[in-house]
Amino acid sequence: MKPLLSKTTRPFLIYVLVVLLISVPVYYFVVDTIWKNELDEHNRIIADKTAYALNQLKLSGDTLLKSIVLWNSIQPGTNIQSISSSGTIKDSVYTIEKQKSYSEKPNIDRFRCLSTIIYINNKQYLFTVETNIEESKETIAIIAITTIFFFIIIVAGLLVLNRKLSITIWRPFRNTLDKLKTFNLNHQTKIDFDKTDTSEFEELSHSLRELIAHNISVYKTQKEFTENASHELQTPLAILKSKLDILLQNKDLTERQYHIAEEMNKALIRSSRINKNLLLLAKIDNSQFDSSENLKFDMLLQQSIETLEEHFEQKNISVSTTAVPDLSLNGNGSLTEILINNLLLNAIRHTLPNGSITLTLTKSSFEVTNSGLKELDKDLLFKRFSSASADNSGSGLGLAIIKEICRFQKWSVRYRFENGHHIFSVYF
Amino acid sequence: MKILIIEDEEELARSIAEYLSEENYLCEFAASYNQALDKIEMYQYDCILLDIMLPDGNGMKLLEELKLQDKQDGVIIISAKNALDDKIKGLQIGADDYLTKPFHLSELTARIYSIIRRKQFSNSNIVRQNELLIDLLAKTVSVNNDPVTLTKKEFDLLIYFIGNKNRVISKSTLAEHLSGDFADMLDNHDFVYAHVKNLKKKLYDAGSGHYLKTVYGTGYKWMGS
Repeated sequence: MKPLLSKTTRPFLIYVLVVLLISVPVYYFVVDTIWKNELDEHNRIIADKTAYALNQLKLSGDTLLKSIVLWNSIQPGTNIQSISSSGTIKDSVYTIEKQKSYSEKPNIDRFRCLSTIIYINNKQYLFTVETNIEESKETIAIIAITTIFFFIIIVAGLLVLNRKLSITIWRPFRNTLDKLKTFNLNHQTKIDFDKTDTSEFEELSHSLRELIAHNISVYKTQKEFTENASHELQTPLAILKSKLDILLQNKDLTERQYHIAEEMNKALIRSSRINKNLLLLAKIDNSQFDSSENLKFDMLLQQSIETLEEHFEQKNISVSTTAVPDLSLNGNGSLTEILINNLLLNAIRHTLPNGSITLTLTKSSFEVTNSGLKELDKDLLFKRFSSASADNSGSGLGLAIIKEICRFQKWSVRYRFENGHHIFSVYF
Repeated sequence: MKILIIEDEEELARSIAEYLSEENYLCEFAASYNQALDKIEMYQYDCILLDIMLPDGNGMKLLEELKLQDKQDGVIIISAKNALDDKIKGLQIGADDYLTKPFHLSELTARIYSIIRRKQFSNSNIVRQNELLIDLLAKTVSVNNDPVTLTKKEFDLLIYFIGNKNRVISKSTLAEHLSGDFADMLDNHDFVYAHVKNLKKKLYDAGSGHYLKTVYGTGYKWMGS
């Protein structure tokens, strides 16, 4: 994973590099052409000027010959040569490379030459002029060095700019991201995104605001639905229950009919319980409990054990308890009571007759350990209506309620299986 | 005995009335807040069953009204809400009991019985059936003047049966009564059988008549006059 800016930088730099590489021969061609044109013009001027000056002197034939010899020996780069008047020679422009005549070191120079016919005293002379021109190699080298220099400046500038931009331009984006990370649908605290003048980010914030608002409203509706549905179900369930009670009193009821009614009664009790548990979950979800009560956990545990004692005895389950005294915690009393009861009932239900249950209460945790056969599915265990075991007689919500109560009181619950024992731990 | 049923759900009100009428309770209905208010002002009832969620007002207001008028009617709140706050508030304002829907009619009857007994015999609340004598206030039982020691649960069961004389009470109903909120979490309801068996044995051993009958194999019925 790479940050966005470095992803755009790389192709950009490659593009710049390619353009600059192409620019080197182009620059060379342009510069060389300009050079040549200028030098051709310059050579032409020299030829014309020399012819004009020599004509102005109005030298005699002899003096002229001497002067030409002198000219040729001291005037560098030019040469006047007498030619027969019969032949017609065209002007020619060319480039030559040659070793310097006066230099020891091998040093090739490039020259731009013009050879043309000039007329002195109406006689034809071949005038040749050579002007030094920069060598191709040198031109290319200088252009390349310049190009590399600019490339380095561009790369350095881009990196510095990128760093600065990623801090300033992307700041609103990072703010938005941080806020999204802290968002929790359960708490439903509205997010206020910072205003930015970047249209893309503003658009993002706008879409997120709408998305979140929509999610919150759907979530609320769903929660309200659960609560309302459960509430509304209570009345028909109550009617059903009362009618069954009346049916049971019927004098003409046969034993078979009684048993059917009793089975209906049992199913009804169970659906009432599921309904009540759903209501409880909805209420915990909606934070309709006060979680700041001071509660004596060890006292609540003792109460639960006493209430459930007969059920331990009935399955002949031995219970051993180790508890720190006077453990006071912050939480909700009735929810904690439900939490303890559910944990104990869960243990009772899933312990085989003549088994054992160990309860351990420390300052930071409460553990319920009971003997069991095989490990339960951790992923399904705390989910609503997903029985992790084959036994289906419960409401399917007991452990989900435990988890919700823990979440509500900012405790945590974990399950593990060790040496043939199920261990449920609540950490305060 | 006069009972006022303040309940907007007609079917439920009728069931309650039908069940109670066999106990010689006289039931009257009020399906709305205003109807209830009229009846409360005009008549005296032994017990009022109050649904706090009425279409035209909050039942809690009726409770406040009763207190304002210094009425001595016993009140049982029946509500679809299991909110602890409502429960506490209701009991504080002056309700005698709080029952969450859905409930068993036998549960309701037992509670009505207790409240009426408490209201009417506040000094010596004693129920007698031949040789059996139950002091509801002191929570003691004696047979032929010999005291019988019952556990809390056994005494509770006995009162439940006395409050539902000649009624068939099923085992699952008793289980719900005894274990309250977690009856369904338990695999079987044998603990009910154990308690009933102990209660029966203690009473018979002390010389009481066989009032508690088993019907249809798993149901129970207290025979009384």
